[in-house]
Amino acid sequence: MSIKPAVIFNTVTSFIAERFPLEKMSYKSLVGKKEVPLHRMSWAYYMGGLALFFLMVQVVTGLMLLFYYKPTVSEAHASVDFITQHVTGGALVRNLHAWSSSAMILFVLVHMLTAFAMKAFEKPREVTWITGVVLLIITFAFGFTGYLLPWNQIAVNATKVGFQSIDEAGRYLPGSLSTLPTTIRETFQGEASLGQSTLTRFYVLHVVLLPLSLLGVLSLHLLSVQLHGMSKGVDERPKGYERFFPFFIIKDFSAWGIVFLVLFIIALCLPFEAFFAFPLFEPFNSLGSTPDGIKPEWYFFFVYYPLELLPFWMIMVGMTGLKLGLFLTPWIFKGTSRSTLRLIAGIAALYLIVITLFGQQIYEAIKGAH
Amino acid sequence: MFDSFLFMGLPYIALVVCVAGSIYRFRSHRYSYSALSSQFLESKNLRWGSIPWHIGLLVLLLIHLLPFIMPTAWSRLVSGKTALVVVEAIGFASAILALVGLLVLFFRRLINPYIQAVTSKMDLVILVLFLGQIVLGLITAATVRWGSQWATGTTTPYLWSLLTFKPDISYIVDMPAVVKAHIAGAWLIVLLIPFSRLVHIFSLPLEYLFRRPQQVIWNTPRFAEVIASDVPAVESRRLFLKGVTGMAAGGTLLSAGVLEKTVGFYRGPELTTEEKAAQLEENLKRLEMTAEEKKFELERLRNDYILVASLAELNDKVGKYFIDYQMRPALAFINPDGLPLLISAKCTHLGCTVQADMSDEGKILCPCHVSWFDVKTGAPNAGSPAASPLPILGWVVMDSENNIVASKEPGKPPTGAVLPELAKSCSVYIAREHSQA
Repeated sequence: MSIKPAVIFNTVTSFIAERFPLEKMSYKSLVGKKEVPLHRMSWAYYMGGLALFFLMVQVVTGLMLLFYYKPTVSEAHASVDFITQHVTGGALVRNLHAWSSSAMILFVLVHMLTAFAMKAFEKPREVTWITGVVLLIITFAFGFTGYLLPWNQIAVNATKVGFQSIDEAGRYLPGSLSTLPTTIRETFQGEASLGQSTLTRFYVLHVVLLPLSLLGVLSLHLLSVQLHGMSKGVDERPKGYERFFPFFIIKDFSAWGIVFLVLFIIALCLPFEAFFAFPLFEPFNSLGSTPDGIKPEWYFFFVYYPLELLPFWMIMVGMTGLKLGLFLTPWIFKGTSRSTLRLIAGIAALYLIVITLFGQQIYEAIKGAH
Repeated sequence: MFDSFLFMGLPYIALVVCVAGSIYRFRSHRYSYSALSSQFLESKNLRWGSIPWHIGLLVLLLIHLLPFIMPTAWSRLVSGKTALVVVEAIGFASAILALVGLLVLFFRRLINPYIQAVTSKMDLVILVLFLGQIVLGLITAATVRWGSQWATGTTTPYLWSLLTFKPDISYIVDMPAVVKAHIAGAWLIVLLIPFSRLVHIFSLPLEYLFRRPQQVIWNTPRFAEVIASDVPAVESRRLFLKGVTGMAAGGTLLSAGVLEKTVGFYRGPELTTEEKAAQLEENLKRLEMTAEEKKFELERLRNDYILVASLAELNDKVGKYFIDYQMRPALAFINPDGLPLLISAKCTHLGCTVQADMSDEGKILCPCHVSWFDVKTGAPNAGSPAASPLPILGWVVMDSENNIVASKEPGKPPTGAVLPELAKSCSVYIAREHSQA
């Protein structure tokens, strides 16, 4: 069978045309006519909007922090201290940034699980799903790069651990490929060990490259959401429909108001460092020993604890499979019923909750307490 | 003692009674919350009494309140001679206006039979109290001159000390008796608020600004239609106005607050000299640490031998950290035979730095994932997360004239020996040729 270029061209163009229908690109169609189904999963339609809201908080507070933060090994920690101790409202802004990052990741995860459970990736919404997966990865990258910037013990050491696990992959690669992971790590790190070059690179990633790529992918994501409208979400007939503008959007904004109030109160009353031992927040000291209790942020627990407990190759295979599965979800689960999808999403949610809340206990139960 | 009661006990009693009593009265006798106006009974004299009295009193209250709320701005204002004289003159004028009004009200209450009928004892008590307060205030202003200036250093801090629950009456105990009487009288009036018609100061009939104008309409079939059609429209307009006003007021307050903080954030903090110095000291310390690291790095790029420690410095139980040629952490111990033992401290699992304290079994711990490494061989304990041993490093021992007396290449047994009597003058080095791997 010969493949004709014209056929390929036609397939590609019709795929794009179906996903981005030009005739729907009008205010009337994108906003005026859009309707949101009402059913028992309707709450899930708010999750993406909430993630977007926390992103906006991140942008505003992040820009504010940029005014004082200094991305050098000798000054980073002191400049963060300066923000929290001396700048008017500085502690609040930093705390908002820290709490809001966690909230954003939480809502991105819930958004992904509910979108999966509601089969929101069905044709013609494949692009929405795939851009969503890219956004998820970008969000995690934000978390990973931002964690290092304060240059304290836990930040630098946790990043070291994260990097070192890239090296581990080399053990399973044949021949000269086995040094490839180390080369990749050193490229990101900028030098043989974690230092100024790493900080500079992470800084550039965190404040320039990732935001720019996020902006691009997010525009595509939001455009396709508006183009195709909300997915039906459930197998049965919805109880009714609600107009997107103004009814749904007002409810959306009210939800934003409520979560902001909660976020604000938490940020005002509860410093996020309160959950860690103090020595972890001392400036990183390359000549001393690593303090106890080095852990990544909670949103990496789902891969961190398995990494601690299982052989490395299993994690490698699992993570690769997970990523492939996420990207190919619209095709893999094409024929799956929504109730099965709900079950899978439920199991995934259960795993995430259990490993995040009880990871340490599970680790200690299996490996014995330290 | 009496001073303490008048200026510490009485104020707190008065404030508590005033707040609690006013709330209680509002909840239990809601409709008694009123000025008990006698306008229906007599209105001609009332106009000449009530209006001057209220205008004068409100101005006086404002003049008394401003130095308390914003002492700095206030003292800046009255530090100018013209402003001072104007303020004092306004105070005097208002006091006389209030006094005249109050006297008219007093006489009206004493001579008019209708008013007499509705006058209670409490009404007379507060009238007398107010008269006394105004007279005392006027005497104060005339004899203890320029109260608007000295208030910020005396009564203002006194009031703040009460308000912040750190009462300090030393600000006012040495003042002339007339001033002290004026202050005590004020607390007495505050105390009596919930028991008298003075509660009306707490009722703010803001609703009057927005409520539907009251219309008297004959309740006949002819007007029934008008009433039915008119009410909802007016009602909804009123609600809309109320909503808009509320939102505008709330929005203004919120944005004023946010703006204040935001401007403060971007302006940056104003540090004291002490804070600035501490800041600079801390920065300098960090820069020196970085400089030291760079020096280490340069030393490792340039030199064939790097000093680890003098032999005498080394301990057999607690390792000494140093940096190897690849800028990785390592530990130096001393063996019972007097020769050094150098081992990498970068965990072979995920690169954490291994701790320096050796256990009784001769092992050192990586705290990240709990791997124990044998110092002699570098081997990790069975079942530890680390799979490969910590590398044992090579070393060179030189005497004080830089002659090599002993050395060890990585992976080989040491050669040479250190004579115990020479140990004090020998030092341990790492060599570049050992670290090419």
